[in-house]
Amino acid sequence: MTNLFLVNLFLAVGFSAVVGQLNLGGLLVGFAIGYLALWITRSPREETGYFKRVPRIVNLFVYFIWQLIVSNFRVLWDVVTPGHRSRPGIIGVPLDAETDLEILLVANLISLTPGTLSIDVSDDRKILYVHVMFLENVASEQADIKQGLERRVLEVLR
Amino acid sequence: MGSQTALLNIVIQISLVMLLISIFLAAVRLLWGPDPADRIVAMDLISFLIIAFITVYSLYSGIDAFLDVAIAYALIAFLGTVALARFRERLARKIGRNQSNGKDSP
Amino acid sequence: MREIIIIFLLLSGSLFSLVAAIGLLRLPDILTRMHAATKAGVLGTGLILLSHAVYFSDLAITLRVLATITFLWLTAPIAAHLIGRAAYCSRVRLSENTWIDQFGHACGWGEAGQEEADTGEIDPDSR
Repeated sequence: MTNLFLVNLFLAVGFSAVVGQLNLGGLLVGFAIGYLALWITRSPREETGYFKRVPRIVNLFVYFIWQLIVSNFRVLWDVVTPGHRSRPGIIGVPLDAETDLEILLVANLISLTPGTLSIDVSDDRKILYVHVMFLENVASEQADIKQGLERRVLEVLR
Repeated sequence: MGSQTALLNIVIQISLVMLLISIFLAAVRLLWGPDPADRIVAMDLISFLIIAFITVYSLYSGIDAFLDVAIAYALIAFLGTVALARFRERLARKIGRNQSNGKDSP
Repeated sequence: MREIIIIFLLLSGSLFSLVAAIGLLRLPDILTRMHAATKAGVLGTGLILLSHAVYFSDLAITLRVLATITFLWLTAPIAAHLIGRAAYCSRVRLSENTWIDQFGHACGWGEAGQEEADTGEIDPDSR
Protein backbone atom coordinates (compact mmCIF):
# COMPACT_ATOMS: atom_id res chain seq x y z
CA MET A 1 0.00 0.00 0.00
CA THR A 2 2.83 2.40 0.88
CA ASN A 3 4.58 1.44 -2.34
CA LEU A 4 1.57 2.33 -4.45
CA PHE A 5 1.27 5.63 -2.62
CA LEU A 6 4.93 6.44 -3.32
CA VAL A 7 4.51 5.55 -6.98
CA ASN A 8 1.43 7.74 -7.14
CA LEU A 9 3.29 10.64 -5.53
CA PHE A 10 6.18 10.18 -7.96
CA LEU A 11 3.73 10.25 -10.88
CA ALA A 12 2.21 13.46 -9.53
CA VAL A 13 5.59 15.21 -9.23
CA GLY A 14 6.63 13.93 -12.65
CA PHE A 15 3.40 15.11 -14.26
CA SER A 16 3.59 18.60 -12.78
CA ALA A 17 7.28 18.91 -13.72
CA VAL A 18 6.64 17.84 -17.32
CA VAL A 19 3.66 20.14 -17.73
CA GLY A 20 5.74 22.93 -16.18
CA GLN A 21 3.28 23.83 -13.44
CA LEU A 22 5.18 23.00 -10.30
CA ASN A 23 2.47 24.26 -7.94
CA LEU A 24 -0.40 22.82 -5.97
CA GLY A 25 -2.85 22.69 -8.87
CA GLY A 26 -0.38 20.79 -11.06
CA LEU A 27 0.39 18.36 -8.25
CA LEU A 28 -3.30 17.67 -7.56
CA VAL A 29 -4.10 17.08 -11.24
CA GLY A 30 -1.01 14.87 -11.53
CA PHE A 31 -2.05 12.87 -8.47
CA ALA A 32 -5.55 12.33 -9.85
CA ILE A 33 -4.26 11.22 -13.26
CA GLY A 34 -1.62 9.00 -11.66
CA TYR A 35 -4.24 7.42 -9.43
CA LEU A 36 -6.42 6.71 -12.45
CA ALA A 37 -3.48 5.15 -14.31
CA LEU A 38 -2.57 2.96 -11.34
CA TRP A 39 -6.21 1.93 -10.97
CA ILE A 40 -6.43 0.89 -14.62
CA THR A 41 -3.18 -1.08 -14.47
CA ARG A 42 -3.88 -2.74 -11.09
CA SER A 43 -3.37 -6.47 -10.87
CA PRO A 44 -6.65 -8.38 -10.52
CA ARG A 45 -5.21 -11.07 -8.25
CA GLU A 46 -3.35 -9.02 -5.66
CA GLU A 47 -5.87 -7.28 -3.46
CA THR A 48 -4.43 -4.03 -2.07
CA GLY A 49 -6.26 -1.72 0.28
CA TYR A 50 -4.99 1.36 -1.50
CA PHE A 51 -7.82 1.68 -3.98
CA LYS A 52 -10.40 1.26 -1.26
CA ARG A 53 -8.69 3.65 1.09
CA VAL A 54 -8.20 6.72 -1.08
CA PRO A 55 -11.93 7.25 -1.81
CA ARG A 56 -12.58 6.95 1.93
CA ILE A 57 -9.95 9.59 2.70
CA VAL A 58 -11.52 11.87 0.11
CA ASN A 59 -14.94 11.11 1.60
CA LEU A 60 -13.75 12.00 5.12
CA PHE A 61 -12.04 15.16 3.88
CA VAL A 62 -15.05 16.45 1.94
CA TYR A 63 -17.42 15.58 4.81
CA PHE A 64 -15.12 17.36 7.26
CA ILE A 65 -14.78 20.55 5.19
CA TRP A 66 -18.55 20.63 4.66
CA GLN A 67 -19.21 20.20 8.40
CA LEU A 68 -16.62 22.88 9.22
CA ILE A 69 -18.38 25.43 7.01
CA VAL A 70 -21.87 24.52 8.27
CA SER A 71 -20.74 24.70 11.91
CA ASN A 72 -19.20 28.09 11.40
CA PHE A 73 -22.37 29.50 9.91
CA ARG A 74 -24.39 28.14 12.85
CA VAL A 75 -22.05 29.74 15.36
CA LEU A 76 -22.03 32.92 13.27
CA TRP A 77 -25.84 33.03 13.34
CA ASP A 78 -25.98 32.66 17.11
CA VAL A 79 -23.27 35.28 17.58
CA VAL A 80 -24.71 37.92 15.27
CA THR A 81 -28.40 37.73 16.19
CA PRO A 82 -29.45 39.15 19.56
CA GLY A 83 -30.27 36.74 22.38
CA HIS A 84 -28.92 33.25 22.87
CA ARG A 85 -30.80 30.32 21.42
CA SER A 86 -28.07 27.87 22.28
CA ARG A 87 -28.99 24.98 24.58
CA PRO A 88 -25.59 23.65 25.59
CA GLY A 89 -24.91 20.41 27.42
CA ILE A 90 -22.15 17.90 28.05
CA ILE A 91 -22.78 14.36 26.85
CA GLY A 92 -20.72 11.20 26.95
CA VAL A 93 -20.22 9.37 23.67
CA PRO A 94 -19.14 5.72 23.87
CA LEU A 95 -16.02 5.21 21.75
CA ASP A 96 -15.32 2.44 19.28
CA ALA A 97 -11.89 3.91 18.57
CA GLU A 98 -9.18 2.15 20.53
CA THR A 99 -5.65 3.22 19.65
CA ASP A 100 -4.14 6.60 20.48
CA LEU A 101 -4.20 7.76 16.87
CA GLU A 102 -7.87 6.85 16.38
CA ILE A 103 -8.96 8.63 19.55
CA LEU A 104 -6.83 11.66 18.71
CA LEU A 105 -8.29 11.96 15.23
CA VAL A 106 -11.89 11.48 16.37
CA ALA A 107 -11.52 13.99 19.20
CA ASN A 108 -9.79 16.55 16.99
CA LEU A 109 -12.35 16.34 14.22
CA ILE A 110 -15.20 16.53 16.74
CA SER A 111 -13.70 19.73 18.12
CA LEU A 112 -13.69 21.29 14.67
CA THR A 113 -17.22 20.29 13.58
CA PRO A 114 -20.69 21.65 14.27
CA GLY A 115 -21.31 22.88 17.76
CA THR A 116 -19.30 20.10 19.36
CA LEU A 117 -16.13 20.39 21.45
CA SER A 118 -14.43 17.38 22.96
CA ILE A 119 -13.53 18.03 26.60
CA ASP A 120 -12.09 14.83 28.01
CA VAL A 121 -11.70 11.09 27.57
CA SER A 122 -12.61 8.87 30.52
CA ASP A 123 -9.75 7.08 32.25
CA ASP A 124 -10.60 3.69 30.74
CA ARG A 125 -10.68 5.31 27.24
CA LYS A 126 -14.24 4.12 26.58
CA ILE A 127 -16.18 7.38 26.74
CA LEU A 128 -15.50 10.72 25.08
CA TYR A 129 -17.11 13.70 26.80
CA VAL A 130 -18.36 16.26 24.32
CA HIS A 131 -19.76 19.73 24.90
CA VAL A 132 -22.58 20.35 22.44
CA MET A 133 -23.80 23.87 21.75
CA PHE A 134 -27.20 23.18 20.18
CA LEU A 135 -28.31 20.02 21.99
CA GLU A 136 -31.88 18.84 21.45
CA ASN A 137 -31.77 15.11 21.94
CA VAL A 138 -28.94 13.22 23.62
CA ALA A 139 -29.47 9.90 21.84
CA SER A 140 -29.72 11.39 18.35
CA GLU A 141 -26.65 13.58 18.94
CA GLN A 142 -24.64 10.54 20.08
CA ALA A 143 -25.80 8.61 17.02
CA ASP A 144 -24.89 11.59 14.82
CA ILE A 145 -21.32 11.68 16.08
CA LYS A 146 -20.90 7.91 15.90
CA GLN A 147 -22.42 7.47 12.46
CA GLY A 148 -21.13 10.66 10.89
CA LEU A 149 -17.59 11.17 12.06
CA GLU A 150 -16.33 8.15 13.97
CA ARG A 151 -17.45 5.66 11.33
CA ARG A 152 -15.65 7.60 8.58
CA VAL A 153 -12.46 7.97 10.62
CA LEU A 154 -12.39 4.26 11.45
CA GLU A 155 -13.02 3.36 7.81
CA VAL A 156 -9.92 5.31 6.87
CA LEU A 157 -7.70 3.96 9.63
CA ARG A 158 -8.71 0.30 9.64
CA MET B 1 4.80 41.62 -6.91
CA GLY B 2 3.82 45.14 -7.81
CA SER B 3 1.06 43.97 -10.14
CA GLN B 4 -1.81 44.15 -7.71
CA THR B 5 -4.78 46.17 -8.81
CA ALA B 6 -6.44 48.96 -6.90
CA LEU B 7 -9.39 46.73 -5.92
CA LEU B 8 -7.18 44.04 -4.41
CA ASN B 9 -5.21 46.69 -2.57
CA ILE B 10 -8.41 48.10 -1.04
CA VAL B 11 -9.59 44.61 -0.02
CA ILE B 12 -6.24 43.89 1.63
CA GLN B 13 -6.51 47.11 3.63
CA ILE B 14 -10.12 46.35 4.61
CA SER B 15 -9.17 42.94 5.93
CA LEU B 16 -6.21 44.42 7.83
CA VAL B 17 -8.65 46.79 9.54
CA MET B 18 -11.13 43.96 10.27
CA LEU B 19 -8.37 41.88 11.84
CA LEU B 20 -7.25 44.83 13.96
CA ILE B 21 -10.83 45.29 15.23
CA SER B 22 -10.98 41.57 16.03
CA ILE B 23 -7.73 41.74 17.99
CA PHE B 24 -9.10 44.71 19.91
CA LEU B 25 -12.35 42.86 20.76
CA ALA B 26 -10.43 39.80 21.90
CA ALA B 27 -8.19 42.04 24.01
CA VAL B 28 -11.32 43.32 25.78
CA ARG B 29 -12.12 39.75 26.79
CA LEU B 30 -8.48 39.27 27.80
CA LEU B 31 -8.69 42.19 30.19
CA TRP B 32 -12.24 41.45 31.36
CA GLY B 33 -11.73 37.85 32.37
CA PRO B 34 -13.47 36.89 34.62
CA ASP B 35 -11.84 33.48 34.97
CA PRO B 36 -8.17 32.85 34.09
CA ALA B 37 -9.42 30.26 31.59
CA ASP B 38 -11.30 33.02 29.73
CA ARG B 39 -8.06 34.95 29.45
CA ILE B 40 -6.27 31.89 28.09
CA VAL B 41 -8.96 31.45 25.41
CA ALA B 42 -8.60 35.13 24.51
CA MET B 43 -4.79 34.77 24.29
CA ASP B 44 -5.23 31.76 22.03
CA LEU B 45 -7.59 33.61 19.69
CA ILE B 46 -5.31 36.68 19.67
CA SER B 47 -2.39 34.54 18.56
CA PHE B 48 -4.51 33.13 15.71
CA LEU B 49 -5.50 36.64 14.71
CA ILE B 50 -1.88 37.83 14.81
CA ILE B 51 -0.90 34.95 12.51
CA ALA B 52 -3.65 36.04 10.11
CA PHE B 53 -2.59 39.68 10.41
CA ILE B 54 1.06 38.89 9.60
CA THR B 55 -0.08 36.86 6.59
CA VAL B 56 -2.25 39.69 5.23
CA TYR B 57 0.56 42.15 5.91
CA SER B 58 2.81 39.94 3.82
CA LEU B 59 0.36 40.42 0.92
CA TYR B 60 0.22 44.16 1.63
CA SER B 61 3.99 44.59 1.50
CA GLY B 62 4.61 41.96 -1.18
CA ILE B 63 7.38 40.35 0.88
CA ASP B 64 6.72 36.62 1.16
CA ALA B 65 9.31 36.14 3.94
CA PHE B 66 6.72 37.37 6.45
CA LEU B 67 5.03 33.97 6.12
CA ASP B 68 7.96 32.41 7.97
CA VAL B 69 7.35 34.82 10.82
CA ALA B 70 3.72 33.65 10.95
CA ILE B 71 4.81 29.99 11.00
CA ALA B 72 7.29 30.54 13.82
CA TYR B 73 4.63 32.45 15.76
CA ALA B 74 2.13 29.61 15.30
CA LEU B 75 4.62 27.11 16.73
CA ILE B 76 5.43 29.24 19.77
CA ALA B 77 1.83 30.32 20.48
CA PHE B 78 0.65 26.72 20.80
CA LEU B 79 3.31 25.98 23.42
CA GLY B 80 2.31 29.07 25.38
CA THR B 81 -1.37 28.11 25.36
CA VAL B 82 -0.65 24.56 26.50
CA ALA B 83 1.61 25.77 29.30
CA LEU B 84 -1.00 28.26 30.55
CA ALA B 85 -3.84 25.72 30.40
CA ARG B 86 -1.86 23.15 32.36
CA PHE B 87 -0.95 25.79 34.90
CA ARG B 88 -4.64 26.66 35.34
CA GLU B 89 -5.61 23.02 35.77
CA ARG B 90 -2.87 22.35 38.32
CA LEU B 91 -3.97 25.41 40.28
CA ALA B 92 -7.56 24.11 40.29
CA ARG B 93 -6.48 20.65 41.46
CA LYS B 94 -4.34 22.15 44.21
CA ILE B 95 -7.20 24.26 45.53
CA GLY B 96 -9.53 21.26 45.29
CA ARG B 97 -7.13 19.03 47.21
CA ASN B 98 -6.80 21.60 49.98
CA GLN B 99 -10.58 21.88 50.26
CA SER B 100 -11.29 18.15 50.34
CA ASN B 101 -8.50 17.58 52.83
CA GLY B 102 -8.81 14.26 54.65
CA LYS B 103 -11.18 12.84 52.07
CA ASP B 104 -10.16 10.53 49.27
CA SER B 105 -7.19 12.13 47.57
CA PRO B 106 -5.81 10.63 44.36
CA MET C 1 -10.01 35.08 -11.92
CA ARG C 2 -7.19 34.56 -9.46
CA GLU C 3 -7.84 37.99 -8.02
CA ILE C 4 -11.49 37.13 -7.39
CA ILE C 5 -10.45 34.02 -5.48
CA ILE C 6 -7.95 36.03 -3.42
CA ILE C 7 -10.56 38.69 -2.62
CA PHE C 8 -13.13 36.05 -1.64
CA LEU C 9 -10.66 34.21 0.62
CA LEU C 10 -9.44 37.41 2.28
CA LEU C 11 -12.92 38.80 2.95
CA SER C 12 -14.41 35.54 4.24
CA GLY C 13 -11.33 34.86 6.34
CA SER C 14 -11.40 38.23 8.05
CA LEU C 15 -15.19 37.97 8.45
CA PHE C 16 -14.83 34.66 10.33
CA SER C 17 -12.03 36.14 12.44
CA LEU C 18 -14.33 39.03 13.35
CA VAL C 19 -17.11 36.56 14.19
CA ALA C 20 -14.72 34.65 16.45
CA ALA C 21 -13.81 37.83 18.31
CA ILE C 22 -17.43 38.99 18.66
CA GLY C 23 -18.42 35.50 19.81
CA LEU C 24 -15.66 35.51 22.38
CA LEU C 25 -17.11 38.73 23.72
CA ARG C 26 -20.82 37.93 23.50
CA LEU C 27 -21.44 34.23 24.21
CA PRO C 28 -22.64 33.30 27.71
CA ASP C 29 -20.04 30.96 29.23
CA ILE C 30 -16.51 29.78 28.64
CA LEU C 31 -17.32 26.54 26.85
CA THR C 32 -19.59 28.23 24.29
CA ARG C 33 -17.00 30.99 23.89
CA MET C 34 -14.47 28.32 23.05
CA HIS C 35 -16.77 27.02 20.31
CA ALA C 36 -16.56 30.41 18.60
CA ALA C 37 -12.87 31.02 19.26
CA THR C 38 -11.63 27.59 18.16
CA LYS C 39 -13.75 26.95 15.10
CA ALA C 40 -14.10 30.41 13.63
CA GLY C 41 -10.51 31.27 14.52
CA VAL C 42 -9.13 28.19 12.79
CA LEU C 43 -11.33 28.63 9.72
CA GLY C 44 -10.59 32.37 9.40
CA THR C 45 -6.84 31.95 9.78
CA GLY C 46 -6.85 28.98 7.39
CA LEU C 47 -8.71 30.94 4.69
CA ILE C 48 -6.30 33.87 4.99
CA LEU C 49 -3.28 31.56 4.78
CA LEU C 50 -4.82 29.99 1.65
CA SER C 51 -5.20 33.43 0.08
CA HIS C 52 -1.46 33.90 0.64
CA ALA C 53 -0.77 30.67 -1.27
CA VAL C 54 -3.02 31.73 -4.15
CA TYR C 55 -1.46 35.20 -4.29
CA PHE C 56 2.14 34.04 -4.62
CA SER C 57 1.27 30.72 -6.42
CA ASP C 58 4.67 29.19 -5.80
CA LEU C 59 5.33 25.59 -4.81
CA ALA C 60 7.55 26.32 -1.81
CA ILE C 61 5.13 28.87 -0.37
CA THR C 62 2.11 26.63 -1.05
CA LEU C 63 3.72 23.72 0.78
CA ARG C 64 4.62 25.94 3.73
CA VAL C 65 1.07 27.30 3.86
CA LEU C 66 -0.39 23.78 3.79
CA ALA C 67 2.01 22.67 6.55
CA THR C 68 0.96 25.64 8.68
CA ILE C 69 -2.76 24.96 8.15
CA THR C 70 -2.27 21.29 9.04
CA PHE C 71 -0.37 22.30 12.16
CA LEU C 72 -3.14 24.69 13.20
CA TRP C 73 -5.82 22.04 12.60
CA LEU C 74 -3.91 19.54 14.71
CA THR C 75 -3.03 21.84 17.59
CA ALA C 76 -6.11 24.07 17.99
CA PRO C 77 -8.40 21.23 19.20
CA ILE C 78 -5.69 20.05 21.60
CA ALA C 79 -5.37 23.51 23.09
CA ALA C 80 -9.17 23.75 23.28
CA HIS C 81 -9.37 20.38 25.02
CA LEU C 82 -6.78 21.44 27.62
CA ILE C 83 -8.44 24.80 28.28
CA GLY C 84 -11.89 23.21 28.42
CA ARG C 85 -10.84 20.58 30.95
CA ALA C 86 -8.99 23.17 33.03
CA ALA C 87 -12.07 25.41 33.03
CA TYR C 88 -14.41 22.53 33.85
CA CYS C 89 -12.17 21.28 36.65
CA SER C 90 -11.97 24.73 38.20
CA ARG C 91 -15.78 24.72 38.33
CA VAL C 92 -16.40 27.75 36.19
CA ARG C 93 -20.08 28.68 36.30
CA LEU C 94 -21.75 27.42 33.14
CA SER C 95 -24.55 29.17 31.29
CA GLU C 96 -27.98 28.54 32.81
CA ASN C 97 -29.14 27.16 29.47
CA THR C 98 -26.91 24.14 30.08
CA TRP C 99 -29.41 21.40 30.72
CA ILE C 100 -27.44 18.19 30.87
CA ASP C 101 -23.99 17.27 32.16
CA GLN C 102 -22.93 13.67 31.83
CA PHE C 103 -19.27 14.48 32.50
CA GLY C 104 -19.84 15.25 36.13
CA HIS C 105 -16.74 13.62 37.55
CA ALA C 106 -14.72 15.75 39.87
CA CYS C 107 -11.26 15.70 38.26
CA GLY C 108 -9.83 13.86 41.26
CA TRP C 109 -11.30 16.27 43.75
CA GLY C 110 -13.53 14.09 45.82
CA GLU C 111 -16.97 15.40 46.61
CA ALA C 112 -16.10 18.31 48.86
CA GLY C 113 -16.23 21.90 47.78
CA GLN C 114 -19.24 21.47 45.54
CA GLU C 115 -20.42 25.04 46.07
CA GLU C 116 -17.86 27.82 45.74
CA ALA C 117 -14.80 25.76 45.00
CA ASP C 118 -12.53 28.41 43.61
CA THR C 119 -10.45 31.23 44.96
CA GLY C 120 -13.44 33.54 44.82
CA GLU C 121 -12.19 35.35 41.73
CA ILE C 122 -15.22 34.18 39.81
CA ASP C 123 -17.85 36.85 39.84
CA PRO C 124 -21.22 35.13 40.39
CA ASP C 125 -23.00 37.51 38.04
CA SER C 126 -20.66 36.96 35.13
CA ARG C 127 -22.01 34.58 32.59
